[in-house]
Amino acid sequence: MSRSLGGAAVVGIGRSPFVRSSGRTTLSMAAQAAREALADCGLTAADVDGFTCYSTGDSAGPSQVAHAIGVDDLGWSLSVLGGGNIVTSTVAGAATAVLSGQAEVVVVYRVLGAQTRYGRALERVEVDGEGQFAGPHGYLVPPQWFAMFCRRHQYEYGSTAADLGAIAVQERDHAVRNPHAVARSPITLDDYLNSRWISEPFRLFDCCYEIDGAVAIVVTSAERAADLPHRPVHLLGAADSNRFGGSVDQWDDLSCMYSRDTAPRLWSRTGLQPADIDVACMYDCFTFTVMATFEDFGFCAKGEVGDYFRAGRATYGGDVVVNPHGGLLSEGYIHGLNHHYEAVLQLRGDAGDRQVSGAETALVTSGAGPFGGALVYGTVAP
Amino acid sequence: MTTTHEQSPAVRADPLSLPPQPVPDAVTAPFWAALAEGRLAMCRCGDCGLWLQPPLERCRRCAGPTRFADVAGTGTVYSFIVQHRATVPGYLDDLPYVVALVELDEQTGLRLPARIVGIDPAEVRCGLRVRAEFTELPGGDFTVAVFRPVDGP
Ligand SMILES: [Zn+2]
Repeated sequence: MSRSLGGAAVVGIGRSPFVRSSGRTTLSMAAQAAREALADCGLTAADVDGFTCYSTGDSAGPSQVAHAIGVDDLGWSLSVLGGGNIVTSTVAGAATAVLSGQAEVVVVYRVLGAQTRYGRALERVEVDGEGQFAGPHGYLVPPQWFAMFCRRHQYEYGSTAADLGAIAVQERDHAVRNPHAVARSPITLDDYLNSRWISEPFRLFDCCYEIDGAVAIVVTSAERAADLPHRPVHLLGAADSNRFGGSVDQWDDLSCMYSRDTAPRLWSRTGLQPADIDVACMYDCFTFTVMATFEDFGFCAKGEVGDYFRAGRATYGGDVVVNPHGGLLSEGYIHGLNHHYEAVLQLRGDAGDRQVSGAETALVTSGAGPFGGALVYGTVAP
Repeated sequence: MTTTHEQSPAVRADPLSLPPQPVPDAVTAPFWAALAEGRLAMCRCGDCGLWLQPPLERCRRCAGPTRFADVAGTGTVYSFIVQHRATVPGYLDDLPYVVALVELDEQTGLRLPARIVGIDPAEVRCGLRVRAEFTELPGGDFTVAVFRPVDGP
């Protein structure tokens, strides 16, 4: 059984400035992004009846943000607890709400403020849940978890620091052409190799750039999208996978990720394959997340990502352009919703200096480790 | 066992000096109680024998009742990191330190995160055979199992 999300489209995109430290509240930034997303598609607060966000309990909620921009009554308001793993579910959930008539126009947003920095936890003096087994050993934060994954991949497939570096260098090179990116100075492989260790095998340049900012996208029906100013960006299909209760320690094979299970599901639902994808916005909390998921989605065999990037196959003129905005590594970390912004911009043909010529399909992935998802956007409804 | 709220004056004195302290719950408390007695015990289904980590009140495979049972304390380094940067409180004088996922001999995929001691970080490898030993968690209220390389299988 396969039911399409193709009756839904992304029609508006908005965002706040991305900065290292904004001094602003999550409500202020989320409201700005939502207002911009509506203005982008020529809609107003009066048109909006749905709002949703995902968060780790660190954000102003959907009803607050809707109220702040002048929405008087939400018919559909959904706050999802989760991080990068849940982005696809949240966007697909908004599309489902539209397709099932629960809402007509839905704003999806994610905002990150100064209180959220996942890369370190120096204030964590007590840990419950599964963290109680790891925290006492000084093991508690995502760069450590995914460095653990990376090491196993190196052991099984012989991947190297230079392979990770090829990803970091390529994404930074893309960010140079993105005025919204926080890190736009080119880096070389030597710069990468000389950057300081964080959690070996991860260096500084393996880790995404945590910032303050917000992104919002507007989802509505394809029918309504036809009357709005921009070329609609259609959802062609989405898939998720969740195993091991999200446990990074118990996940069975650290040389791959959720994408091992999500990829066949996604390609089956969409009838597409990697060769059909023009732009790949790969969730890149770390370089290794790109490596593992890129392999799992079938762009190349396990252990070949370094060669693939070094051969220029992941950039303009190659097979698929990976993270033309610079990704979470260089544009900045808005928990993966900025990948959706970029995908829409590319498929509209509005990406300016970094436009991927003739882009018609975009893969957007979300998550790392034992859970996550992906969806495909296209310029033509399925 | 004291609660972490009772032990926290020392933590408050210097939040960076101690590693994160566990907060046991109704299901995990026997794990910590066993460690306090110098035993490494893991959660196991009383009916089908499946080992469960993290622990569950009922088996996820057969819904049978679970209990904690001692394990041999031997295993293999499945993967590991060398922590160079202070990102979590505690062990700041020990940087760089090694944390591994140790796969216990009792069941494929049954893993515990733990510090690896008694070896140069540069010498640690996936596949290294290790054995548990017990040490006081800085803070004084808990015992943890760390792992040390052993010779042979
Ligand atoms: Zn059982």
